[in-house]
Amino acid sequence: MNAISARGLTKTYRSPRKAQGLLASLRSLWHREHTVITAVSELDLELAPGETVGFLGPNGAGKTTTLKMLAGLIEPTAGTVRVLGYDSTQRPPELLRRLTLVMGNKQQLLWDLPPSETFELNRALYDVDRARFARIRDELVDLLALGSVIDRPARNLSLGERMKCELAAGLIHEPEVLFLDEPTIGLDVSMQVAVRQFIADWSRRHGATVLLTSHYMDDIAALCSRVVVIDGGRLRYDGALTALAERYAPERAVRIRLARPPVEPVGPLAVVGQELVGQVPAAAVPELLARVMATGEVLEVSVEPQPLEDALRRLFGGAA
Amino acid sequence: MLRALRAYPALLRIGFAAVVAYRAELVVWILTASMPLIMLGVFDRVADAGPVAGLDHAGVAGYFVAVLIVRQLASTWLVWELNQQIRTGALSAALLRPLHPLVWHSAETLATVPLRVVVLAPLLLPIWLWRPELQLALDPASLLVFTASVVLAWGVNFAVHTAFASLAFWLGQSMGLFQVWFGVWVLFSGYAIPLGAMPEWAQLFAEWAPFRAIIGIPADVLSGRVTLAHAPQLLAVQALWLCAFAALGGALWRRGVRRYEGQGA
Repeated sequence: MNAISARGLTKTYRSPRKAQGLLASLRSLWHREHTVITAVSELDLELAPGETVGFLGPNGAGKTTTLKMLAGLIEPTAGTVRVLGYDSTQRPPELLRRLTLVMGNKQQLLWDLPPSETFELNRALYDVDRARFARIRDELVDLLALGSVIDRPARNLSLGERMKCELAAGLIHEPEVLFLDEPTIGLDVSMQVAVRQFIADWSRRHGATVLLTSHYMDDIAALCSRVVVIDGGRLRYDGALTALAERYAPERAVRIRLARPPVEPVGPLAVVGQELVGQVPAAAVPELLARVMATGEVLEVSVEPQPLEDALRRLFGGAA
Repeated sequence: MLRALRAYPALLRIGFAAVVAYRAELVVWILTASMPLIMLGVFDRVADAGPVAGLDHAGVAGYFVAVLIVRQLASTWLVWELNQQIRTGALSAALLRPLHPLVWHSAETLATVPLRVVVLAPLLLPIWLWRPELQLALDPASLLVFTASVVLAWGVNFAVHTAFASLAFWLGQSMGLFQVWFGVWVLFSGYAIPLGAMPEWAQLFAEWAPFRAIIGIPADVLSGRVTLAHAPQLLAVQALWLCAFAALGGALWRRGVRRYEGQGA
């Protein structure tokens, strides 16, 4: 049985529409106009237990809406969702005890109390016995380096500290399914790395199924071997991350520094000062390098895959 | 249900910790609900000309002290909380916990009771010194009836708040509608005016309306204006309103949550 299974998942919203200005405001008193927005359309998705999948798409693609539907927070307009075998739209408590949804821009921490109180609240709400709670809390405090922050009011914590506490609060009950929506948003680079490492460690140790959205491709590359890409609410790609990169960013960025400025370009490589620089199809790299190396003037060679962002930009037609 | 009961002491403890964190704000809230003190002054002057609605000076003092106590014990701010949570999407976290959000809110409300009592005591003391003859029904039987009545009053109030708050799922926010209810409630609950002091048509309306189930009935019990023989009938009236509003609030909540879009979260 798959941990997450969605079929034909669709969500449409009615959104009020109002022009700017006083007249439009007065008109809207008796005549409201609405626009029907299709946030997600006929999405099929399957995640095996223990799988970590990156969920990608440009802003407004429907990622967060999909996560909310999968977690049971909002009701799909059409389609079915089963998480751990339960119909998540019914939000059965048995399921809620086994999943978590952590959203980077919203907090479940009690604002004026220390995170330790939120942990205790979740212990009571999720009916976690005290010995198990102490073990998990200590593990989370250790992995996320929270020792110095859990006894300070949440309102006094930095964004990064709060985000780590959010994650910890969402994991106190050791959920089997994690929906993580932008868990590293707004964090500095070192904090991003720490949270990324934590998610990797946690999912490995606990065998959790993780569906992760992030605009930071480093998050995705570090955590996910499979990605699902949506755009305009529709599935655009579902497969291996490497295959996505090969398909939409098949070139390599080649940079070769020579002992003397080259006289002329070599194949697709242009002359830039003392270097040959260019984008080369992956298959053509060995032959091209061999040609240049044969000159005996090569000082340094760099061959880099294109950033994942480039693959997505091509996939979205420049929208990413 | 058993899990909720097991969790409840922890919820109350954390709710109390939150109350203490917000203590200054809560004291202000409690003081804003002290209208009965003002009305006590007004009706005390009216009673100079003779008993009003059967209340002499001691009776007026007893009645409004009882109203003040009931108001503090049966109060909730659920409609404000839920309106804000629904509008901003903050309800999302609560909906994904395996305990009904209203159970947590009930614990949050009840956790304020100790602080309310602490703030109330210094307000009551001067009234006792001013009207030492004021009497409350403090015998065990009356206290038992009062306890039942104030619990029912709190339940009706909480269910009313749930019903109004749930309308925010459709309207975006429902505070305006609740203010209409609150305005009528102030007049016909016995909060500002003893119901017996109102015109006959208003008394008739108040008798059939739900408002007195939240203030008037428990206040009458505590101020000794209800005989023990008549008490079961009044408790039954409160229980009926509780059932009615619980059914209405529950239905609106269930339908409303299905419309919830978690915008902003």
